[in-house]
Amino acid sequence: MAHLRKILFNLMAWSIVLAVAFPLFWMLVTSVKPQFELFRRPPTILPETWTFEHYWTLLADTNFLVYFRNSVILSSATTLLVVAVATLGAYSLVRFKYRGRESLAFLVLFTYLLPSVVLIIPLYLLLVQLGVSNTIFSLVIAYTTFALPYALWLLRSFMAGIPEDLESAALCDGATRMGAFRDIILPQLLPGIISTALFTFILSWNEYLYALVLVNSDSSRPLTTGVMNMLISSFNIEWSLLMAASVMMSVPLIIVFAFLQSYLTRGFGAGGVKG
Amino acid sequence: MAEVVFSQVKKAFGTFTAVHGLDLHIKEGEFVSLLGPSGCGKTTTLRMLAGLEFPTSGDIQIGDRVVNDIPPGQRDIAMVFQSYALYPHMSVADNIAYPLKKRGVGRADRDIAVAKTAELLQLTELLKRKPRQLSGGQQQRVALGRALVRDPKVFLLDEPLSNLDAKLRGYMRVELVELHRRLGRTMVYVTHDQLEAMTMSDRIAVMEGGVLQQFAPPAEVYAAPANRFVASFIGTPGMTLMDGELSKQGGTWRFDAPGISMDVGALNDRAEPGGACLGVRPEHVSIGQGSINGTIQVVEKTGHENIVIIGLEGGQRLTGRVPAPQSWSIGENVQLSLDAEQAHIFGPGPHGPRLNLPSNIATPDLKSAAN
Ligand SMILES: Nc1ncnc2c1ncn2[C@@H]1O[C@H](COP(=O)(O)OP(=O)(O)OP(=O)(O)O)[C@@H](O)[C@H]1O
Ligand SMILES: [Mg+2]
Repeated sequence: MAHLRKILFNLMAWSIVLAVAFPLFWMLVTSVKPQFELFRRPPTILPETWTFEHYWTLLADTNFLVYFRNSVILSSATTLLVVAVATLGAYSLVRFKYRGRESLAFLVLFTYLLPSVVLIIPLYLLLVQLGVSNTIFSLVIAYTTFALPYALWLLRSFMAGIPEDLESAALCDGATRMGAFRDIILPQLLPGIISTALFTFILSWNEYLYALVLVNSDSSRPLTTGVMNMLISSFNIEWSLLMAASVMMSVPLIIVFAFLQSYLTRGFGAGGVKG
Repeated sequence: MAEVVFSQVKKAFGTFTAVHGLDLHIKEGEFVSLLGPSGCGKTTTLRMLAGLEFPTSGDIQIGDRVVNDIPPGQRDIAMVFQSYALYPHMSVADNIAYPLKKRGVGRADRDIAVAKTAELLQLTELLKRKPRQLSGGQQQRVALGRALVRDPKVFLLDEPLSNLDAKLRGYMRVELVELHRRLGRTMVYVTHDQLEAMTMSDRIAVMEGGVLQQFAPPAEVYAAPANRFVASFIGTPGMTLMDGELSKQGGTWRFDAPGISMDVGALNDRAEPGGACLGVRPEHVSIGQGSINGTIQVVEKTGHENIVIIGLEGGQRLTGRVPAPQSWSIGENVQLSLDAEQAHIFGPGPHGPRLNLPSNIATPDLKSAAN
């Protein structure tokens, strides 16, 4: 009986894994199939002819590299900004006592109560008035608005886990507040910072809606909207190119993830307990 | 080296006052314990001295400098935290070197100082380890090392021994006293363990509810507690306290309670006829003969002595301490007497002041006896 249950559990787990992994697999094989093999019936699981022509086309003949660069700049800048602000904010929320501290922390989460569609238009108007619309910078600001609250809460729970005595000891040992923050708090907070950064980076890398509405010049489009715009029109979808682009979009995330995934799961754990 | 002076220091957290108008004058080179039950404001007092907490009112002075607005790092103090507060990501050597580094001591000098401190505390083998790879006692020594590596004016220690097992605690007690004697620095030591306070201190500041109750050498705190609270807090087993009536007959006073009545001699001028409290230490009870009748209720054998609890006729209970050969069985009726010379009379209320004249204070030197 117990044996059967174990088998059933395993079966279920593996079917879920398969369901998640299959599209990825399909993306990968489609990107290396020649155009004529794509719609053959019955479909070939593994390509009969392997080709990297789609990749070459993307890199040589399209704007792909521009979009890619934009995405890298956009996601890195957002991550830097969000992590910097959230770290300082979390420090303030945990260490200093002031009126309205708790309400402030909750108020920040208000963004999540409203659908992004509602926020986009005011945000757009705001950015236009600031004179930064249609730039990568405008997207950095927009992404920060939705990544910051979560980052703040995540880091707050990490920060709360650092004993205050550590900082007090550093102060007694002759450190300034900034010195204590740099020498003691930051190293302790590193796992939290890494997982927050990872989270923010992934969020900005994959964001579509804001990028679609706020930016419409080819020179500032990130990958998500850029690739869509380039390969999907009302008449035609360039499947092979699209899949090749998708693979290249996923690669950076997969690499980052592979190296830092233990931090990420730890981060979600901390958020789950206290956040 | 420096004296430490608290003048009318008050600390309020919102509406709650943790420390009330504290006056404390700690002399240069003195070992002073802050002793009191949990929540009495010991840590708050120490943190104010360190500069980690700011007094709501009043002045704190270290040496001849008022330090109210001076940040911790510039007060020239070193503090050992109850939690040790070792920096988890630094090695033992880096932990100990940190205060020097922050004060701009060069690498070579730091290494020499760390090696010296490590030797003093027998940490040399452990210098490369991280704090989490150490036992509690080793961590405690590292925390101590971080304080000792410099030569600050004042050492602040917040219950540094409370996480250790009894044996190690006894050992570290002796070590700390020895260290104090060697360094001759002012030390302020927070503890809720009266044994630590009694055996280590030059003077003890007994606190309760944020109020200083008595500030005196251990022997005096024991032999002449300033009020009923101190009397009940100091000593194990505790002093027996009995409520009764005080009345004056000519020049001497008489104390009456159900089952007991005795002449207590002359009292100071705060004594008034009416409610009062008699306090008797267990060692001042002699069992065998006397005018007081009681029944043995409990006998606790500790080996070299027996602690007996005796029920008196009025329902009162009295604790006595007798050498081990003397023993009684439970339920036995006994006669007993109290040493009137050594009995204490306190005014009414939980903080009733001591009413005895100061003359009858016997002051054995507890500190040197413990070493
Ligand atoms: N930051 C704070 N905010 C509010 N109240 C506080 C704060 N710090 C201390 N208190 C209160 O002040 C009182 C004294 O606290 P303190 O830490 O000084 O006690 P303590 O004598 O060190 O006790 P223990 O032996 O348990 O360490 C306590 O009632 C505590 O609740
Ligand atoms: Mg305390």
